[in-house]
Amino acid sequence: MGIYRKQIEIVGDILYAAEELTIDQNGASITRLIQKANISHSRISKILTNLVSQGLLEQVDSRRACKYRISMTGKDFLKEYRTFSEFTDNFGLTI
Amino acid sequence: MEFLLENILNLIGFIVGIIIGGFAYAGYKNTGSPVLFRLTIAFIAIGIGFGIIWAGYVIDDIYIQEGKINRGLQALGLGIQTIGYFFIAFSHTIKSFFPKSRYFRSVGILPLFALSAMNIEHIIRSFSFILLVYGAIETFVSFLEGKQKGTLAVGIGLALLAFGEFIAWYSLVFPESILYSVSILLKISGLISLFIPISRLPLRKIKFDDFEDNEDEKFGR
Repeated sequence: MGIYRKQIEIVGDILYAAEELTIDQNGASITRLIQKANISHSRISKILTNLVSQGLLEQVDSRRACKYRISMTGKDFLKEYRTFSEFTDNFGLTI
Repeated sequence: MEFLLENILNLIGFIVGIIIGGFAYAGYKNTGSPVLFRLTIAFIAIGIGFGIIWAGYVIDDIYIQEGKINRGLQALGLGIQTIGYFFIAFSHTIKSFFPKSRYFRSVGILPLFALSAMNIEHIIRSFSFILLVYGAIETFVSFLEGKQKGTLAVGIGLALLAFGEFIAWYSLVFPESILYSVSILLKISGLISLFIPISRLPLRKIKFDDFEDNEDEKFGR
């Protein structure tokens, strides 16, 4: 049986993917984020828009495709998310 | 000696409960996670429960000086603690859903029959024991899946608290024995074990007010 992720877990996975894939200032493409965060294109589009509007991700202008990189606020949020995720893991629960 | 141990236990319980509850609340404010909300209620309730009993002992020590706590205050504190244990068990029940909660119900019936003639305080203790055992079992199951040391420490903590409650039952049968002091020491060890993994986490709070407000709006929470 599949394990369904909660919204906050999906956001965490996308930010984690963006952090991992942001090796330079160019950011990560949607395709790479979809692969890394294991999420459908239709779903990620809406979430990416939200995350950019919240300042957690930054949209990078590119000649060929739209790319995203994690912002400083996004890094801080991801750090806190990991902390609280570990906290709930200690109780045998998921955040 | 028992009076002193009770004071130490309840003070530690109060501090540990409030710190873990406060940390869970910071997590809930930042992430909006319902799991963290339930853990907030659980540990704040556990902390308040211990705090009420501790206050009862302090009041007796300073003003009444009878050498024993008001039974009503003790029952109130234990009742509030049980609410906390319920929310820990409840989080696991939601995670595991019905198959394992059947086990919970089957185990839960026994102590209720065993203590049906006892007073309200001991019935509350029986509920705490059941909830703690359930929480400990579920946490150990999670440890077997994830193999995280923190989960093991929490599982051991809940198990020690449960064993402490169990020994406290036996002290009713042998009231003058060392059993009650042993149960208090077990519960202190349980609280310390619960706190170990939490103490390793950075206990600070970062606010994401803008994100939080808009996230709730846009993610439809």
